[in-house]
Amino acid sequence: MSLWVDKYRPTSLGKLDYHKEQANQLKNLVQCGDFPHLLVYGPSGAGKKTRIMCLLRELYGPGVEKLRIEHQSITAPSKKKIEINSIASNYHLEVNASDAGNSDRVVIQELIKTVAQSQQIQWSSKRNRGDAGVSVDTVVLLTEVDRLTKDAQHALRRTMEKYMSTCRLILCCNSTSKVIGPIRSRCLAVRVPLPSTEEVCSVLNSVCRKEGLLLPGELAKRIAEKSGRNLRKALLMCEACRVQQYPFSAEQDIPDTDWEVYLKETANAIVSQQSPQRLLEVRARLYELLTHCIPPEIIIKGLVAELLSNCDGHLKAEVAQAAAHYEHRLQLGNKAIYHLEAFVAKFMAVYKKFMEDGLDAMMF
Amino acid sequence: MSKLSAGRKTSSSKLTSWVEPSFGDLFSGSGLNSFRLKKGERVKPGEQGEPWVDKHSPSSQADLAVHKKKIEEVENWLKSHLDVRPETKGGAILLLTGPSGCGKTATLRVLTQELGCRVQEWSNPTMTSEFRTEESFRDTFDPSSRFNGFHGVSQTAEFQEFLLRANKYGRLQMLGDGLTSGRKVILVEDLPNQFYRQPASLHDILRRFVRTCRCPLVFIVSDCLSGSSSSRHLFPRDLQEELGVWNISFNPVAPTSTMKVLSRIVTQEAARSGGRVAVPDKAALDLLCAGSSGDIRSAINSLQFSSLTGSSLDTRVWPGKKGKSLPSVSRGLSRGKGKSKTSRSSDTLDCSPAIGGKDASLFLFRALGKILYCKRESCTSPEGPSLPAHLSEHQRDTLLVDPEAVVEKSHMSGELFNLYLQQNYLDFFSEMEDVARASEYLSDSDFLTAEWTSRSTMREYGSSVATRGLIHSNSARARADSQTSVGFKPLHKPHWLLVSKKYRENCQAAQCLFTSYCLTPLSLQTELLPYLAQLTNPMRNQAQIAFMQDVGHLPLRKYPGRLKLEALTDKDPGTLDEDSEEEGPAVSAPGPEEPEDPAQPCSQGPGSDLPASQPQPTTSQALLEEEEMLIEEYDSD
Repeated sequence: MSLWVDKYRPTSLGKLDYHKEQANQLKNLVQCGDFPHLLVYGPSGAGKKTRIMCLLRELYGPGVEKLRIEHQSITAPSKKKIEINSIASNYHLEVNASDAGNSDRVVIQELIKTVAQSQQIQWSSKRNRGDAGVSVDTVVLLTEVDRLTKDAQHALRRTMEKYMSTCRLILCCNSTSKVIGPIRSRCLAVRVPLPSTEEVCSVLNSVCRKEGLLLPGELAKRIAEKSGRNLRKALLMCEACRVQQYPFSAEQDIPDTDWEVYLKETANAIVSQQSPQRLLEVRARLYELLTHCIPPEIIIKGLVAELLSNCDGHLKAEVAQAAAHYEHRLQLGNKAIYHLEAFVAKFMAVYKKFMEDGLDAMMF
Repeated sequence: MSKLSAGRKTSSSKLTSWVEPSFGDLFSGSGLNSFRLKKGERVKPGEQGEPWVDKHSPSSQADLAVHKKKIEEVENWLKSHLDVRPETKGGAILLLTGPSGCGKTATLRVLTQELGCRVQEWSNPTMTSEFRTEESFRDTFDPSSRFNGFHGVSQTAEFQEFLLRANKYGRLQMLGDGLTSGRKVILVEDLPNQFYRQPASLHDILRRFVRTCRCPLVFIVSDCLSGSSSSRHLFPRDLQEELGVWNISFNPVAPTSTMKVLSRIVTQEAARSGGRVAVPDKAALDLLCAGSSGDIRSAINSLQFSSLTGSSLDTRVWPGKKGKSLPSVSRGLSRGKGKSKTSRSSDTLDCSPAIGGKDASLFLFRALGKILYCKRESCTSPEGPSLPAHLSEHQRDTLLVDPEAVVEKSHMSGELFNLYLQQNYLDFFSEMEDVARASEYLSDSDFLTAEWTSRSTMREYGSSVATRGLIHSNSARARADSQTSVGFKPLHKPHWLLVSKKYRENCQAAQCLFTSYCLTPLSLQTELLPYLAQLTNPMRNQAQIAFMQDVGHLPLRKYPGRLKLEALTDKDPGTLDEDSEEEGPAVSAPGPEEPEDPAQPCSQGPGSDLPASQPQPTTSQALLEEEEMLIEEYDSD
């Protein structure tokens, strides 16, 4: 039994639930059996990957759905071995090169080179058999391109030109702001926006119908809103609701993830008392979140959201500024805890001062 | 072999008195004596150039510069273990530790002398000891057998044999030996090198020793800051427990005792040699004391050196003596009891002497304490420049510590030291305002060292910013007179190293185990995993289930119980080996201690982990079976 997210994922461009016009355009794009390099971007849970897989299926037929996990090891020039996981079908290869951290440049270069060169041999044999009008032999799908180092991105740009004749790249990322200009200009950019609330609702409804469940419209709307229109999250939430209670009721609780609850509690702890001892407790909670694989950026984002909703309007600007400052530090620095803690301490100090001033004002 | 060396030495010392070397006036006899085989044993006094360390080596308990309690402790142990009946369980082991030159060996020698027992000492054999006699020489190079070439015995084996023999056989009754009691102590100060590499072999030998042997065995190991040869590496806790090793740890010699010894030596020498020995004055002695940082051997050595060179050299040897050390001495004398404080301040104020200055090092515990307690000197001169009114909150009294020197002496990288500070600083603050400022300094410091290309240069600035920032921002401790005693606060080891390691490991494991979901790490960790934990979705393999239980759920209790505080002890050398974290966010290959072996679920055998991947709502079971063929033969269809 697989998750609803995977089970009811559309597999062809024609079956996509929303942004149908874009789907049509993509269909036309691959009509001739070829397409330019693509840069697909959009927020998480908007359906980028789904769209890409549909596109590939349109191009190669059902063969792309037979996936295998490959465990590759690449030797860097410095003799360092890099292990990387990739997912491949006979037609495409999916790699998240940013898994390799600082060595992502080597991964990009080596991997694409091997793929492009080995495909050249098959290429001639396939040509002879006259494969159905497909002129691109392999597609490399790179995910999280925005997390690649600058080095790797420049390497990518070079590689793109060199192997243009044999392979196509599809780059997938959340935002293009961290992708260097030369890459952006070499690709056809495709933006996949989030579905609207209504669209999320209709997807939820159709999924529930296929599962044989009855989903009240009210609940669907609440789920859609709570998920922030992130369709993946919405479907997961819906499934969690199903586990929690069935038949659905319109007012039922939508389960939060543990870490969100925990983060909320942490924010409450910060607001309720400001002292070094409390900061020590908060630090322990931050560590706990980190050991549960919650990235520090997410932690600071969640904290700010919670804290801002809890504090007075006068403080909001200052708190947001501090948050931006330390988030920037977080990106540049090595050890996240310094910056997380500094932000919490800053908030505590500001908040405490504000409360004390307010108290003084009340006295007089 | 100790016997032999002792014999050789006595003869050599006799020789010097019989034959006056022709270059005697040049080296005045010191040349021969410096080649003596063993330190600490007394040779006939009277030679001019003999090191004062040996000349004035203590002969009674009263002469020892070691604290009375320590001497008593060692004495009690010796007394209780010397006279054990042979049939009862024997083989007690004593381990003396402490910094070098704090009188470990001297204490043992004095005590054994007083108790009337003999010391049998192990000294590492050199290769020449193989050919001591004609016979063994012939044995070694037997011309009749070609293959029986040079056969050496490993040091380890020799050590074991030495222990056995020293234990089994008494001493030969030599003519003129006063002592007839069979009591003896085996002393090991010079451990065979092999044991540093493989402590386990030492442990085996010791276990055997404890089982079979009768006489006490004493190890003397100097504390040092490098990890491999430390006593805790050689004698780990569990071994100490197992074998009943009694550990007595010596402290550095107190400055007062050092002073006492130095002035005694000075007066003796001055009386003996008329005008030839330039007697250093009180201030110079004080400086020597401070410079030796509790190492009495080096203090005496430098005393001898400085007083022998004559008065003409004196001024050059002590640069700035007049300027700096005199006031501190006068203060020290006037305060009497407060002398230790003055000496500490004088060594931190960096007027270390040109000679005899030992590189002072601090154990991490003390170094952290210096920064966190930040002792200040009360401002004696009010006429000094003070900050304008609007900045008066930043007014601080003079620091008694030099933060950069403290970090340097702690033998750690600044980043690691910052981590220790970060773990511990909160206990010392009371104002939120201060904490915010301190944490900002820590954040700044991390930011300074973020870029790896400039890290080597910026590292020192970073630690300077962090330490000075911490000290400055603690406004409760801004004034010497307002520094209330915060009492003893336990210090802890930083969690961050552990946490970040765990974070990386977990992230890697998550990606390995759930590759089939084709998600980016971010959405995998924050969306899929937490919801998977809530769903009753059957997972494919055991590793995934275990991982979900570990990571997917957060304990929604008030106090997380996962992180145990690990207290930092007095002599802890710091976790130097965990430095690898400094490398930056480079993701390494999965370590061997991954919680769930990731190689197994990741291998691409006819795996049970494939099917759930996204674009295939088709029958996954059927797919599984033909998966093997698919890879090779797909292009046929």
